[in-house]
Amino acid sequence: MKHILIVDDASTVRMYHRNILEAAGYTVDEAVNGIEALEKALTGKFDLYIVDINMPKMDGYEFLQQLRREPMHQAPAVMVSTEAAELDHTKAYFSGANLYMVKPIKPLQMMTYVRLLMGEESA
Amino acid sequence: MALKKSRKKNTTQSQNEKRDCNQIRNELLSDDASSRRWAARDIVNCPGATHMLLDQLNNEEEPSVRQVILSSLTQLGDSEAVEGLVNCLRSEDASLRNEAIEAMKQLPEEVAPIMATLLNDPDPDVRIFAVNILESLCHDDVEQWLVSVIRDDEHVNVCATAVDLLGEVGSEISIEALTGLKDRFTEEPYIQFAADLAMKRISGD
Repeated sequence: MKHILIVDDASTVRMYHRNILEAAGYTVDEAVNGIEALEKALTGKFDLYIVDINMPKMDGYEFLQQLRREPMHQAPAVMVSTEAAELDHTKAYFSGANLYMVKPIKPLQMMTYVRLLMGEESA
Repeated sequence: MALKKSRKKNTTQSQNEKRDCNQIRNELLSDDASSRRWAARDIVNCPGATHMLLDQLNNEEEPSVRQVILSSLTQLGDSEAVEGLVNCLRSEDASLRNEAIEAMKQLPEEVAPIMATLLNDPDPDVRIFAVNILESLCHDDVEQWLVSVIRDDEHVNVCATAVDLLGEVGSEISIEALTGLKDRFTEEPYIQFAADLAMKRISGD
């Protein structure tokens, strides 16, 4: 069973994403900021990360940059944010994101990309 | 005689303080991060400290120094400091934005007078950050500000951020606005989910 880490400081967002992913049969873990996410990522094994940008203590960019320095932790990452500017997309990809999505995310949209990124479905 | 002695002492003390402030100003611009960190802490009693700290904040790349600068600005808490922190919300640097949000949460009385302006800023990202500030802003008007956001703001993500928070701090007076929010964003599953959750939390179900 595929294991996904949701990283977001908003509890409602984490719950919303968890509901969608668990309904699709994935197991889910959560982190409230980049520091907690890094601890969980480096001590666990995840098949995908869903990461918010704006979080206290350590933001999503910094988390992904640090994670990508670890050769054993290269699972795909979806960066999600309320910011739709082109610059934010570019920064996300430079930080190591595989996909950038603007909130709020619809369930069907999320599942399509999650499955694609984990190699479960072709486009 | 006593009066003369006292004057002499005060003048000397004042000269020392003046010299110290000049030294601290120079250290704030030092190449050495540790010197800048100490200077950012010690400068708070010097004249013009807020201005110098804000100038340095815009150029400072070392996170630990930035942290001390923000802490000193919070300690100073004057209108210039608050204005400088508001400008940080418009920064492209996500870390700086988040650090400014955390600093502003510590200044409820100073931030409250400008909250209505922030919540009506033309930039939706600034409005979202303003709602983020409300998260820990201990102020009597927090719920009313959030209600006005979910009732009037047209940007889905500003409302989404506000509804998250209303689930934690809201009371019965938010229910009508939450119902109205669901009616405004019928095509947004997240808003439906978050508003239902907030109402459930408020009614204690």
